[in-house]
Amino acid sequence: MHLTSAEERALRGEEGEAKQLAMELLTKVGDAVSADSLVPIKSAHVLAHYSSLHEAGIEVLERFANSGGRFSVPTTVDPASVDLEHWRSFGVPEEYAQKQFRLCEAYAKMGGIACWTCVQYQVSNFPKSGETVAWAESNSVVFANSLIGCRTNKIAAGLDMACAITGLTPSFGMLLDRNRVAQISYRLPSGPLSDLDYRSVGFYIGRTAGSRVPALENLPASVSSDELKHLGAAAAAAGPVTMIHYIGFTPGSGSLRDAAKGERTETLDVTRKDLEEVAAELNQTDEAPDLVAFGVPHLSANEIGVLAKALAGRKLKRGVKMYVYTSTQGLQMAEMSGARAELEATGARLTHTTDAEISPLKKMGFGVVMTNSAKMAEIVSAEGEVRMRYASTRQIVEETTDS
Amino acid sequence: MSDKTVVARGMVPGLASGMALVSRKAFTFAHGVDPSTGDVTDAHSDISGENVKGRVLIYPFGKGSTTASAWFLETVRLGNAPVAVVTEGIDLGVVIGSVLAKALYGKDIPLLSGLGRELFPATAGSKLSVDGTTGRIEVVLT
Repeated sequence: MHLTSAEERALRGEEGEAKQLAMELLTKVGDAVSADSLVPIKSAHVLAHYSSLHEAGIEVLERFANSGGRFSVPTTVDPASVDLEHWRSFGVPEEYAQKQFRLCEAYAKMGGIACWTCVQYQVSNFPKSGETVAWAESNSVVFANSLIGCRTNKIAAGLDMACAITGLTPSFGMLLDRNRVAQISYRLPSGPLSDLDYRSVGFYIGRTAGSRVPALENLPASVSSDELKHLGAAAAAAGPVTMIHYIGFTPGSGSLRDAAKGERTETLDVTRKDLEEVAAELNQTDEAPDLVAFGVPHLSANEIGVLAKALAGRKLKRGVKMYVYTSTQGLQMAEMSGARAELEATGARLTHTTDAEISPLKKMGFGVVMTNSAKMAEIVSAEGEVRMRYASTRQIVEETTDS
Repeated sequence: MSDKTVVARGMVPGLASGMALVSRKAFTFAHGVDPSTGDVTDAHSDISGENVKGRVLIYPFGKGSTTASAWFLETVRLGNAPVAVVTEGIDLGVVIGSVLAKALYGKDIPLLSGLGRELFPATAGSKLSVDGTTGRIEVVLT
């Protein structure tokens, strides 16, 4: 890989220990993927949640922070493993919360924005089309490449810090035109799609596309960016997907021909049966849930309002809790608009700065969790600590609340 | 590996030897290996129930979460890591984890890639010696 003289200096340690380690990570990864060079980024989105980073991850962030590492581009962060404001009342053990706080401190020391959401693109980190960014967190990577039209690889833990500190990323993968060409296309079944269907479609794409870049045709004009957020999140949880050409919506992909650069692609018709099979696979059990989790990835303020309406006049059954995960802005807007009061009147609780799939669910006392998130069902069932139910909002409301 | 030596691509330097542990399926440390024991817990893995500690771990590709680097590093921190990792494709999670393992814990865990899958059977059940600089893999004991 070609390095500039400034990059060489940083690699030799002439700009401090933190930049040296960052540059070492960037060059090792760059060499591994045969990148020609490092390129500048406009923003970074990094990981700092204890459940996946462990003690070693704390030590990585502290090493960077305590050896002079400072973010050189606007940097946002994915949710924490606990509600940073109300963790105690959610039953998180003190010792566990303290681990998360060490990550928070190191992150703040490096100058990170206190974002703590996986939908940073909906609240505080919205790139322009065509920009190069370095984002960890797979749902946001799909959203960035597919709907915003900016360019990012799915940046791994550790490398995210290196990118944020140097403002650089190796030029490979989804940064290059040749890797952004649609290679397989999908068609939706006819008829209306439920909230669960959109997620199951995404999961099906992630499972079947393999390393090919998928395109999705015949999306209805009415599809919302929130629905595509959940579809993309499910795809990225099920496979290595980092971009989906939403034909008619993705910048530069007005037609399948544009997305595939004129090349022929295999087309798969997604059938109702395929969606039922996804739902059956993700629904591990028929047991009654002790927790309902909405918001993996985080719900927007609008989605909270819609959910509050669906729950209007109903009461949560005994023995089940309902947590609704959102960004700090989502929570504040829901509070100001009255949607929070409406939602919490049913017995549900709005929570921010954290998300369900990275929470210590078992330590918090849960055994069976029900969700409409394919991403959460996939990730949490793989861990095996709690069992997952996967169902539509409508079914969840019917089963876990009384009118 | 008829002549007992093969040259793959050296990715992260270091010398190591240990018994081969070979998976034929995509592998991940994220939710797939328990860092506190080194046990492979991923139910989808064909080496589920085996232990990676002290082994030359061989698998075709990485998969899954981008936090695999952190899971790998935690496994190193707790002293339960493989002594070397050899892959067919490139697993960036382990590249990153190995660089951090050296920086934080002074541990050299050589990493090699480009070992053709057709050579996997010849390594199974053997003691291997690997060099992460030259990419050389040698069967020292079968």
